[in-house]
Amino acid sequence: MEKVLLIIPAYNEEDNILNTYQSIMDYNKKNKTKYDVIVINDGSTDHTSEICHKNKIPVVDLIHNLGIGGAVQTGYKYADAHQYDIAIQFDGDGQHDVRYVSDIMKPIKEKGIDMVIGSRFISKMDTFRSTLARRIGISIISFFMKLVTGKKIYDTTSGFRACSKKLIQDFAISYPSEYPEPVTTAEVIKKNYQVLEVPVEMKERKAGTSSIKAWKNAYYMMNVTVALLAIKIRRYKKCK
Amino acid sequence: MQINLIITLIAVALFLIILTTYILKKGRISEKYALLWYGMTMMILLVALFPNLFVFISEKLGFKVMSNLIMGILIGVLILILMALTIMIAGQKKKTILLIQEISILKSEIRSMKENQ
Repeated sequence: MEKVLLIIPAYNEEDNILNTYQSIMDYNKKNKTKYDVIVINDGSTDHTSEICHKNKIPVVDLIHNLGIGGAVQTGYKYADAHQYDIAIQFDGDGQHDVRYVSDIMKPIKEKGIDMVIGSRFISKMDTFRSTLARRIGISIISFFMKLVTGKKIYDTTSGFRACSKKLIQDFAISYPSEYPEPVTTAEVIKKNYQVLEVPVEMKERKAGTSSIKAWKNAYYMMNVTVALLAIKIRRYKKCK
Repeated sequence: MQINLIITLIAVALFLIILTTYILKKGRISEKYALLWYGMTMMILLVALFPNLFVFISEKLGFKVMSNLIMGILIGVLILILMALTIMIAGQKKKTILLIQEISILKSEIRSMKENQ
């Protein structure tokens, strides 16, 4: 059976991290699955680290805050070192639902896909209410994604995604530190990996505040656009 | 060019040479960047010692006053240095991220080894 790792980046998630971990362990028990977990504590200033150690949650405490890209890459390095077959990015704030993990893993196991993105916008069962500004932003990024890669990706900012072993090794070596979701998606397609979107539902955040603040959105959009256009003119080694 | 302007330029150049050499001696600057600053200083000295050469060049290039040529060259050089520094910062950032990740993973592995003993 494949070794599966859920990578949970966590920055100041003391209110959510235990619930998230418990929900995965409960799911494992009920469905006889063996999802391993690694929390990457991204230099939290609250009690995230203590809660993990007290409850025996496997955790890597980053000695300094790196941001989402650096934290997630640490997870891929861990997955690579421990020879995992599939790694799944899973938010520590309760937005992602462990029941969908089998859905986003399936194309990797059955069709040899390299990256599967859990998408909020691909189906009608969208219960995720996001703001109008955010939706517009997401469709602009989607437009540039299509321009750069020639492939339509609906949910370019989704952090709920699964990667094959080949891609784990690739990400362990290089992973963008800024705007990792759209940037990795574009790079992975340019490198000729197989990418697929599958529908998932996401929940509202249970506690804490989202890292993307409203006033930062316009700046985020401009940066992502530049990043994507840079990928367009860059050359990448194609994967075999 | 006026004699006091020449003297000022030479004084500035001397000051830069002494400053760069001092920082270099203390080991707080890499040889590569020290060389860059020596190069800048040489340019200032050239202007001070051969003002006519620069008057000639600026006339040929269509500058109205020689000082505009000097300003233009200096601004261009400064922009290049800034570019080099921005590139260097990006490289440093990559290295720092790598170090933080590797040390953190090692620390967590040491911790779990200790707990398993």
